[in-house]
Amino acid sequence: MRYLTSFSRLWPALGLSLALLPGCYSRSDMKTEAGTATGTPTAVPPAEVPAAVSPNTATPTEAANSTQPLQAVNVFLEVSGSMEGFMPKTGASGENTKFQQHVAQFLSEVNRTATVRQKAFYRIKEKPYEDSYQGISSTVRSGIQQPAKSTDIPSVLDTLMSNYYQPGTVSVLISDFIYSPKNAGAIPYIKTDITDALSRSGSHPELGVSVYGYTSDFRGTYYPALKAAGKKTNCCDTEIPYYIWVLGPADAVRRFDAALLEQQPAKQAHFGVTYLRPHYSLLNKFQNKGSWYYGDAGASKQTADAYRVVAVSEASAQQPVEFVVGIDLSRLPGQYRDVAYLKQNLKLQGVDTDATLLDVMAATDQTKASSGPESKFTHFAKVRLTRQPKAARPLVLRLQDQRPAWVAQWTTKNDATPASKTFALSSLLDGLAPSQEGGARQIFELPLTLQPGE
Amino acid sequence: MKALFRSIYELIGSPQPPADTPVYRDVVFPNIGLLNLGISLALVVIFYYVINRAMGVATFNKGRHWAIFLVLNALIAFGVAIGQAHAQQVTDHSYIYWLATWNAILGIFWFFIFSLILRKGSTNASTTPF
Repeated sequence: MRYLTSFSRLWPALGLSLALLPGCYSRSDMKTEAGTATGTPTAVPPAEVPAAVSPNTATPTEAANSTQPLQAVNVFLEVSGSMEGFMPKTGASGENTKFQQHVAQFLSEVNRTATVRQKAFYRIKEKPYEDSYQGISSTVRSGIQQPAKSTDIPSVLDTLMSNYYQPGTVSVLISDFIYSPKNAGAIPYIKTDITDALSRSGSHPELGVSVYGYTSDFRGTYYPALKAAGKKTNCCDTEIPYYIWVLGPADAVRRFDAALLEQQPAKQAHFGVTYLRPHYSLLNKFQNKGSWYYGDAGASKQTADAYRVVAVSEASAQQPVEFVVGIDLSRLPGQYRDVAYLKQNLKLQGVDTDATLLDVMAATDQTKASSGPESKFTHFAKVRLTRQPKAARPLVLRLQDQRPAWVAQWTTKNDATPASKTFALSSLLDGLAPSQEGGARQIFELPLTLQPGE
Repeated sequence: MKALFRSIYELIGSPQPPADTPVYRDVVFPNIGLLNLGISLALVVIFYYVINRAMGVATFNKGRHWAIFLVLNALIAFGVAIGQAHAQQVTDHSYIYWLATWNAILGIFWFFIFSLILRKGSTNASTTPF
């Protein structure tokens, strides 16, 4: 009896210790608390819940849109005399030009693609003539039957903009883009002519244009833009450039590019095309240095998709803080994935900090094979700072849109001698980007926060 | 509660490597802190109330017996800290062992405090350790 009563007095103490034991935190518990506020601690950790979809990959409407195929694509092939050299009649030995090889394949891809519902093909003379896929493909393969005398680029663009500019529709123009103004006095106004042509049918703030440049061998008569120079027959020893322009609402152009033009190596330039913000995150165990950690709320859960806050506990010139931001650029065009381009145009902007962008790296086989979060990213930006922030301050990584260097290299003021250059190309492209004057456009902006460690 | 454990455990310096700071502050410190308190209390209760009262054992109430429990408590505290750190997949670092040692010292401290408070209720060991 005495044994029982004394033992029963122990119940409160035992109960207290039992209550304390399971009252421990674990990451999974904290997640449920944060998520559902049930907060019941469990001895067995629940299975890991897959990380939530990042809010940055796409807003819901954009995601819904991008699963829908595009409405229509209209492919326009210029068939003026200057294009004949790209599409000569098949020679005895069956050799063809690079242009024939590439464009025939491109047309076939357009015809087969599931990205676009309706496909239409046109030959451009003084105005577009509708053709079938077979018709246009055989024109490319076996030569132009009745070449047009010449086509005027501004009027072609005007036609495309006024008759074929529709939501969800892109126009694809395949041409050498040799624009010869009526007289030499019009040359300084090429840019204005192009801008006017694009906006004659009303302004299109959504307009996006992607320009892809290629070169091909050329067998035929070469017509320089400067007519005074005279045409060159039996041209040429050098390769001559030709271009594929994609015009349409920015969103449609982006999706058409990604589906059909990004796979092939080409020079490219983009005007007014907008891109979704790429997925990005700080990486705390990849080439990190110094005393800093994720300052995000709930950073201990390790299941979050992305981290954006750098908490610096200590930083000095002797012990600098270095951190790496992983960026997934796989959905951007090749131009913006180029490491050399990124090194030049990725800018870091902060308030009240000495943070500098040290380096931009592309993913290597090692990072791709890693088990850590760095395997999800295609590029890495390394930032260094030597001063601890006094309070939470914004820090932004921006990619500026810069005219790629090839445009200047491919531009000539005098195309009398055939070369891999196009007359006044940069002026033509200037006409595509009138609104960009005074401040470079941004491709994306990745906000981060710097704050002092607690 | 987290702030309390953080202040106790950061007496030996901030967590290393710094990248793991949130994990230590949010998960490891509260876990080992609570476990340490609970285990110390449980061992004190077993020594004074189970062995030296309920079971009526008369030959386990000397200072050296109490010391056995004290050392046992320290060893458990050391193991719990290492176990918790590894369970949270923190980066291997000597800090884990410094933390475990500090946890063992804290375990000894809690055991001592609980002994002072609870020894009066024991029948056979109310004057152990002194």
